[in-house]
Amino acid sequence: MKKSFSALLVLLAVVLLPLAGGTPWVQVARAQMDFSLDEAETDTPPADDAQSDSGADMTFDEGQAEGGEGADFGGGGGDVIGQLAAEDEGAQGATGDAAPRATASQEEVYAVQQVYALRINRVELLPSFAFTVNDPYVSHTALGLGLNYWFTNVLAVGVNFLWYQGLSSESDLNFFVRRSTRLAVPITEWQMGAHLNFTYVPLYGKFSAFNQFIFQWDAYIVGGVGLMRTRPVPVIDPEIRQFSYQMRVAFNVGMGLRVFLSRFLTFFTEFRDYAYLEKFENLEVALGGQRTDASTWFASGSTLVNNTTVQVGFTLFFPFTFEYHLPK
Amino acid sequence: MNLRTMNSRRMLPTLPATSVLTCVLVACLTLAASPALPSHASAQDVQVTGPLAGAPAVRRMRIYREGRLQLQPGFAITLQDQFDKAMVFTLQAQYHITDWLGVGVWGGYAGVHLNTDLTKQIKAQGVTTDRNRLSLPDRANFDQQIGQMQWMAALQLTFVPLRGKLALFQKLFVDADFHIFLGAAFVGLEERADVSSTGCNVACLNDSQTLRSSRVAIAPTFGAGLTMYLNDYLGLSVEWRGILFAWNRSGTDESGSPNGDFPDGEINSSDRFLSLNHMFQIGLTFYLPTEAHISE
Repeated sequence: MKKSFSALLVLLAVVLLPLAGGTPWVQVARAQMDFSLDEAETDTPPADDAQSDSGADMTFDEGQAEGGEGADFGGGGGDVIGQLAAEDEGAQGATGDAAPRATASQEEVYAVQQVYALRINRVELLPSFAFTVNDPYVSHTALGLGLNYWFTNVLAVGVNFLWYQGLSSESDLNFFVRRSTRLAVPITEWQMGAHLNFTYVPLYGKFSAFNQFIFQWDAYIVGGVGLMRTRPVPVIDPEIRQFSYQMRVAFNVGMGLRVFLSRFLTFFTEFRDYAYLEKFENLEVALGGQRTDASTWFASGSTLVNNTTVQVGFTLFFPFTFEYHLPK
Repeated sequence: MNLRTMNSRRMLPTLPATSVLTCVLVACLTLAASPALPSHASAQDVQVTGPLAGAPAVRRMRIYREGRLQLQPGFAITLQDQFDKAMVFTLQAQYHITDWLGVGVWGGYAGVHLNTDLTKQIKAQGVTTDRNRLSLPDRANFDQQIGQMQWMAALQLTFVPLRGKLALFQKLFVDADFHIFLGAAFVGLEERADVSSTGCNVACLNDSQTLRSSRVAIAPTFGAGLTMYLNDYLGLSVEWRGILFAWNRSGTDESGSPNGDFPDGEINSSDRFLSLNHMFQIGLTFYLPTEAHISE
């Protein structure tokens, strides 16, 4: 009976003392909870303790009432995202993030992310479609195929092959100029181009589309030397003159943009200038028997031609998979 | 210089259009059927789990456009010009309803015109005969008969599908976005005035060469660009723009005959040809208010 009475007194004290101002251990518990919430969810300065106390109490009470997970939530153990967000973002509402954090403690977040797609020691295959943009007389379109070997993550050596023959088209401008001004503009036809080139990636980044998808991309500069097979199209004396393809040494320089669709598949577009010395058709027609002399068909001297080309295509990296050398 | 008239329109042998299309189609099908390719194109296959699952792709992103006014003075130069290259001083004002959609106006004044190499060649070596006197009355004045764009104004919608950042040599990091736009443009044109060779003697034709007429062409305009942000309110923008309309660039008689696509002895609207007029623009972008919002 005595024990029962003592137990009743203790129980009354436990119930009534909080109403009268709280026992010391209850105050300590509240302080810890308040501290945890402040650290995890708010960035309230010390001067605002009174306000933050009341706000924290309300938030905590709601958490308790909803799921009884106040201990985990308030303790903040393993809630790396929440702490990082709190440090950076300042004061934010706590209720909206409470639900997913119950399972967040087992995950890892890395301060430095790995490069999305390593290129080193991989081979890149580049099928493409190309067209010229600076020639108003003839549109030189081509089908292209390139091959690059990346010996570092930003440097590659490769070859680029373009097939033009049969794909080019002549604009009306040439015909109109001939008819209206009696001037013939010499034009040329291209068969193919094969180029050795080096690629360097100085610029990279990532884009988000509608804040939902992230696309990695890089920009590169490319340059090299190669060969083009071209011949004049007989415009001045087409009844007699026939030209065969000849090799020209061509230098190229350009820049491009590569968007990664996966770790081995990318979309790319490239702007490249192929410069070479071209031999045009002679604008003068020799008289008499010399008209059929092939040595009189070419103009004297060579003309520097800039073939500014846009290439659009896909690239495939081989092997498809790779391993990171360093851990996360 | 050859003085003969070439009767053949095309001197360059080409494959039939169907062959080209077949080649392209086969190439596309081959690529698409490759077993090495993934079954679907999607965003990068980053399998996000744990605390990042379901989270937005970017946190604390600077919202450069939403609710802000964009003012952009710029400079543009026309591309692929046949006879006249124009340098255009531009100004753009745009209000962005969301971070990915804006509406605005763009205008430009072509303050500087340069003759292309072809124009210089015609001025130096063009030949006038009785057959082409209407098209080229006097080669020395050829640059005064060519068509020119004088000014442009457009009402346009801008769509910003991609937003991100870029690093230059791993040292310089800037926010950037990619935009496309579409709108209606009004282009102030100056062309050679209409003239008929019927009843017009040599002196009359010579006088007609430098007579000009002005009109406004209404045309669709579209393009794409990249904006790099130097700070909250200042950016650098590069942009390509196309404006599609018909005009007589050369001031010559090229069409109008009822018997086909031949000269009809008159220079008039039948000598206008549809062309996509390109220009490249670089601009300095200012945003108002000067402070950008930051997303969650």
